[in-house]
Amino acid sequence: MPEKIRFTVNGDVVEMAVEHHQRLLDVLREDLALTGAKEGCGGGECGACTVLMDNEPVNACLVLAVEADGREIITIEGLARENCLDPLQEAFIEHAALQCGFCTPGMILSAKALLLRNPNPTEAEVKEALSGNLCRCTGYKSIVDAVLAAAEKQS
Amino acid sequence: MTYQTVGQSVARLDGIEKVTGEAVFVDDISLPGMLHARVLRSQRAHALITGLDVSEAMAQPGVVAVVTGRGLPRRIGACIQDMYPMAVDRVRYVGEPVAVVVAENPHQAHHALASIKVSYQDLAVVTDPWEASRPGAPQIHPDQAVYHRLPGIHPLPGSNIFHRLQVCRGNTADAFREAFLVVENRYWHPSIYHVQLEPHGAIATYHQKGGLTMYASSQAPYVVRHVICELLGLPPGRVRVIVPYVGGGFGGKSDHTIEPLLAWVARHVPGRPVKLVLTREEMACGTVIGRGALVHYRSAVSQDGMLLGVEAEVFLNGGGYGDFAVNIVTAAGISATGPYQVPNIKITAHGVYTNTPPTGACRGYGHPEVHWACERQMDIIAARLGMSPVEIRLKNALGPGKVNAIGQQMESHNGRVDLCIQQVVDALGGPECFLPRTNPCVGSIALEPGGIEADPLPHPTGANASPKAEPSGACAKPAAMPGKVRGKGIAALMKCPIMPTNAQSGAIIKLEEDGGVMVSVGAIEMGQGCHTVLAQIAAEALSLPLERVQVAPQVDTFHSPYEWQTVASHTTWAVGNAIRLAAAQLCDKITRAAAVILQVPAERLEVVGGRVQDRERPERYLTLQQLARGYTDARGTALSAPLIGEGNFVPQGLSHLDPETGQGNIAADWTFACQGAEVEVDTRTGEVTVLRLVSAMDVGKVINPVLAEGQIYGAAVQAMGAAICEGIVFDREGRIRNPSLTDYKVPGVEDMPELQALFVETPEESGPYGARGLGEHGAVCVPPAIANAIQQATGLEFFDLPVTAEKIIRAQQKRGVPA
Ligand code: FES
Ligand code: FES
Repeated sequence: MPEKIRFTVNGDVVEMAVEHHQRLLDVLREDLALTGAKEGCGGGECGACTVLMDNEPVNACLVLAVEADGREIITIEGLARENCLDPLQEAFIEHAALQCGFCTPGMILSAKALLLRNPNPTEAEVKEALSGNLCRCTGYKSIVDAVLAAAEKQS
Repeated sequence: MTYQTVGQSVARLDGIEKVTGEAVFVDDISLPGMLHARVLRSQRAHALITGLDVSEAMAQPGVVAVVTGRGLPRRIGACIQDMYPMAVDRVRYVGEPVAVVVAENPHQAHHALASIKVSYQDLAVVTDPWEASRPGAPQIHPDQAVYHRLPGIHPLPGSNIFHRLQVCRGNTADAFREAFLVVENRYWHPSIYHVQLEPHGAIATYHQKGGLTMYASSQAPYVVRHVICELLGLPPGRVRVIVPYVGGGFGGKSDHTIEPLLAWVARHVPGRPVKLVLTREEMACGTVIGRGALVHYRSAVSQDGMLLGVEAEVFLNGGGYGDFAVNIVTAAGISATGPYQVPNIKITAHGVYTNTPPTGACRGYGHPEVHWACERQMDIIAARLGMSPVEIRLKNALGPGKVNAIGQQMESHNGRVDLCIQQVVDALGGPECFLPRTNPCVGSIALEPGGIEADPLPHPTGANASPKAEPSGACAKPAAMPGKVRGKGIAALMKCPIMPTNAQSGAIIKLEEDGGVMVSVGAIEMGQGCHTVLAQIAAEALSLPLERVQVAPQVDTFHSPYEWQTVASHTTWAVGNAIRLAAAQLCDKITRAAAVILQVPAERLEVVGGRVQDRERPERYLTLQQLARGYTDARGTALSAPLIGEGNFVPQGLSHLDPETGQGNIAADWTFACQGAEVEVDTRTGEVTVLRLVSAMDVGKVINPVLAEGQIYGAAVQAMGAAICEGIVFDREGRIRNPSLTDYKVPGVEDMPELQALFVETPEESGPYGARGLGEHGAVCVPPAIANAIQQATGLEFFDLPVTAEKIIRAQQKRGVPA
């Protein structure tokens, strides 16, 4: 039996009927055409599907759509405001903190959640916050540098 | 030489798309009427299929078709036609496709898999390449003698060996007889996954009028097209392969993987697109895996540390099908002597069929496998001679005037491994950090059998160590925590691209109406930043600001120029050369058009800064904008036509290797490098922490320093995984024990060491602005550098990768050191 849910996605209120087994990731990618969240493993191992739920990073492949009811979701598409990139997005470009870009949306959102709760993180805190996000391309150095630079710029 | 754009760390062209989620990957594409495919994979590693009943699956809700290998017209393969896109009557590895369900949605397709009935008759299984090469091993391709193959591939009929390459120089028998020291060991590099974050995916539509369009996450759209044309009997003009952004390749999306399978499936549902995206678990068995090599290595050395001879036997795991591994065997064979000059050589490299998923290209392509052996061996030899690992490498290093294993003489523009070694040594604290180990011993050493970690040498910092081995000054070991020991190690490398002798790369540069240009290439942007680097080369060659250069991000075989494939770290070099040729042609056309309009001889005109101008009177010029769509005079008469430049490049002077001796000109260029590691080992838990990874690479002219560093960092961390934690585990039945990222751990951000990339820039004569390849090289020597560092820290010698905590503990216990 489909269930009706109501949640906000990138600031817009969304009301829709979802199946109980439907994953938040599928609702975002298939029903809402927000394909920025990627599926790298479907099992909570890679973090490519990371989105923010009430400003906390979650693996959208492990969250059921019904769990998003009443929550506020932010995806990578909702991060840039009025054509203005988020400082994290700018820093990722500036520090070449992306290569293939498949991990990038998830990385940026995990970092966003960190900076929202801790605007001045240490390097160790950045690593801790990104520990659920795999990147096979960059070796992580530029990503950590970018997050620290964005934090510095914001403060 | 000063350049405007080349040498600058400009930002990636694809940055904004990738940080906003706008960048499109295959799985982000949805087509009208799209169906979804799921694959039933063999659970048997080696069996005959005795029954296959799909009728029940056909009746499941939403199912549109169930496709099997029945009716497949022919075997496919680029080198050896030894495979069908899915099993026909026999399976050769766990994971081989047996049937594919096509349904309206992925859940229905998945659900219906359970109703397919397959019966098998099991055959004996072998997963180890050495065992599989022995007489009496289960025959995996009993009919390999009849397979169609390219010239230069040498199978051993009646065995599992599908290709054998011999490299012979000089006379090793004499060298070993006269040697002061002979060292012999066996080294094992297990199979690994590439772990591209983006799973393999494709969408194919078989058109009702005949022909096929496919979106694929591929490094090799032209190879894919070729194979699909052969499989379905279609002309190239009827098969269109489009590649959007690729979420990491590392070789695992080169050649062809799931594409022929999906083409065959789409053939059964004409007019409707079918999407297939693999799950992470399927990535383990449904594409290709990397490496998997046993190397038996024997070195003859003089008293002063000169390499006199090398005899090596390489057994590379080809898996169930050998097509993708043929050239890896060749690469391993010709590079087994590493970056050293060795006068007497006898190397035999075997590609061996086994019952694992097929082995394909994997960042480094045969080189990491043999460098693991060669570079561990160098440290062991140095220790036996009481020599420093730095000195022995410098003594034997290839360089201008020296000759490599296949008889090619190095020129001064080919690069300097000696400088790379010195840079890494300096970065790690200087030569004092690499003093000779003590207690050299002399003579022949018995084979230390593969798989057994031995410690035949005294611990350098242990009770037996002489004071000499205790470094001081810059190099003094920082006070490690109790129970923790630190060490440093280096390893050097030589890597060349292995390519068809006519590997094609093309470029088209279209002058746009604003005076900027659009560059089309067949090279795939899979994260390495090639489109940015190629734009820089185009900007430089056309004297345009970078903002006026675009590179078409999607490759489409309908209109992108030819590209062999995006592999072998050859894109900057080969496609960069094609772009320079295209730019030269465009400039030529521009000056010829302007000569007519300006009434100035073309030779006096130059293209600079978005203009074409008279060298002698620069105030006489036209902007490129004026020329783009055809220049018209005051009366409106067109005096010129729109302008497009094209360039096509093939490597010069390559030839096949001599079948007997392996001598020949197969490598178009080489990149030399050295990598170093500092590690800390917890002697109680065996846990290794890699503290630093330093790489120095002679990449010729660096086109974009930040992107070049990014390639090296990424490769180094990837290879760090292979050094200490990664390795596919097969059980006796050939099943993979660690298919998920939970069981197969890859380095995470918390494992990241301090990373450093240094460049030596000896300009390469054959490269654009002196550039050479660098994408794979950072992955080649990290495992031996780390193992050499572990040796320095613990005194333990390791011959098997990965060097896990468990192995360290076991080796310590064997040595009798209290854990
Ligand atoms: S796709 Fe969700 S964690 Fe990997
Ligand atoms: S940039 Fe490719 S996985 Fe991170």
